[in-house]
Amino acid sequence: MTVISLTRGGAADAAGAPPPRRRRGRIALARIGGGLAVLVPIVFLSSFITYCLGALSNSNPAATILGQDAATPAAVARLDKYLGLDHPLIVQYWDWLVQAVHGNLGRSYFTQIPVSQSISQRLPVDLSIAILAVILAIVIGGTAGTAAAIRRGGWFDRGVTAVCSVVSTLPAFVVGIILVVILAVSVHAFPANGYVGPASGVGPWLSHIFLPSLALSLQVSADIARQLRTSLVQVLDQNYIVGAKVRGLPYRRILVRHALRNATGPALVILGYDFPQMLAGAVAAEAVFSLPGLGQLLLESAETRDIPVVQGLLLVISTFVIVVNLVINITLNWLYRAGDEVGT
Amino acid sequence: MTGRRPVIGRNGSGSVLRLPSVRIAVGVLAVIAILVAFGSTLAPQNPLAINANALFQGPSAHHLLGTDYLGRDVLSRLMAGTRLSVLTALEAVGIGLALGAIPGIATVFMGRWFDFVINRVSDALMTFPYIFFVVAVTAALGNGLVQAMIPVGILLAPAFFRVTRAATIEHARAQYVEAAELLGASKLHVIRVHVLRKVLPNIMVTTAAMTAAALLTVSFLTFLGIGVQPPTPTWGGILSSDLDYLSQAPWAPFIPGALIAVTVGALNALADAVRDRSGAGALALTPLVHIDPSLEHAHGDRQSRSVA
Repeated sequence: MTVISLTRGGAADAAGAPPPRRRRGRIALARIGGGLAVLVPIVFLSSFITYCLGALSNSNPAATILGQDAATPAAVARLDKYLGLDHPLIVQYWDWLVQAVHGNLGRSYFTQIPVSQSISQRLPVDLSIAILAVILAIVIGGTAGTAAAIRRGGWFDRGVTAVCSVVSTLPAFVVGIILVVILAVSVHAFPANGYVGPASGVGPWLSHIFLPSLALSLQVSADIARQLRTSLVQVLDQNYIVGAKVRGLPYRRILVRHALRNATGPALVILGYDFPQMLAGAVAAEAVFSLPGLGQLLLESAETRDIPVVQGLLLVISTFVIVVNLVINITLNWLYRAGDEVGT
Repeated sequence: MTGRRPVIGRNGSGSVLRLPSVRIAVGVLAVIAILVAFGSTLAPQNPLAINANALFQGPSAHHLLGTDYLGRDVLSRLMAGTRLSVLTALEAVGIGLALGAIPGIATVFMGRWFDFVINRVSDALMTFPYIFFVVAVTAALGNGLVQAMIPVGILLAPAFFRVTRAATIEHARAQYVEAAELLGASKLHVIRVHVLRKVLPNIMVTTAAMTAAALLTVSFLTFLGIGVQPPTPTWGGILSSDLDYLSQAPWAPFIPGALIAVTVGALNALADAVRDRSGAGALALTPLVHIDPSLEHAHGDRQSRSVA
């Protein structure tokens, strides 16, 4: 990892002196560029693994599309040629990837509906749940973790720690079921299932996605709260915090500008780790709350072995995970840069 | 979980078994192990026997945990379903351990290019959410819980790989290893005598944590109905059928849910306790995509996920 030394500021960093302000933006950009360079092999590898799944399945796409009666050897060969299946695997993969970058993920074997169309139809469901779940996790976990760290050793701290230990062992689908039972079936506070798009009103939309998002976010909230508490307790013990208190700065300012900025990094990394599993949990949430999302599409197409749909879904999901991790890393970079300026 | 006990330091004396949380966890796991071995024999009733006269019954002397939508005894079904649920989880962990720990040690000794390639493969695998990947693979390779555990194992491998690699690097650069190398010890000797023994606690902690993760995945797969035929009892399958009859028996999902949560909790508690005690196996808390190497340095020695 020689990202820093490739930039002009590298020498200054190595010498221990901060680089001139003017260059900082450029270094940050170069670092993000370096991060993107690391991403390239990951993107290629994960998409290649995705594509290979199709090749691994011993299914014969042409025969599947044509159906049993029409699948004469000549017809199969013709369709193979049309679909490009007579090329070597690596060529097929490249063609598929180039098409995918242009938004064309092929067509379903059975319905002939473009894969990108079925995915973009269902993506809003999971996107709403995932975004709301991340927001809930940050708000719940962040508040609980910060409050616990400030009142270290108090009853609130012990309560948060205990609740987190319990919650982090509960799988999202079990939490989802418990929430359905309590809040939807018994109290009727929220609809138990179904999805309504934001087009038909923000209120109904939020009430339909709230329970699934909450179910997804609880485990991540617990992880974030635990991590944030640990690092915030460490940061609050640092000399510069004591120094800031001695200088008479208001406590809220010390907490937000000095302590939290330096303590959120590890919690963000945890969020990055948990995110793929959160998407997996979204499949569970879809099953529990009967939402028409990507997970349902995946299960349906897996049952019929509709390989293009499965490949398209996996590609979209892994790209999503990579993008989220990139955003988290850029945020981390910004946080530590901000930390430098405050004067760690 | 045990991290909140301030008395116990990293190098505290005495066995981990003295901790109450560990005793409870070991007790729970022992019960589960007995159920794996003898669950279907010990079951008080036939887990498949249908009784149309006793649908959705609450707990009673005859049916300790009540009956389900076909009048089958829930306790018997849970006991009989333990073996398949747990053994398939262990299968996945075994695959993950073999595919992760061996390269984790090997990359440290095999040169930079090998290390780079294996690391990128590990990163690429980490971009797949378990369920999506597993369902996609079952679509390609065909249904069946035993087959479905192979992709789960493959996705568990990066965790084993990262932990083993980090621990191996730490120990392979120790001065006594350098001394051994100067004395002419071969790489294999160094790995066998100096590295393996030191890395073992880290691998054990990861194994416990990953067994918990695998168990959740198995429960979830069976919940979705992947890999099992309906009459066969599994933890996730029981949960799933309970969910379909929520209006008749709203308390029913809590029983399999609690069983899953307690088992997973016991495994996590055990992992946390061993981790705190030995100082081993802290998950390498580095971002998936490295942008700034100084971040890695800054958080390399942080105890992740446990409240210090």
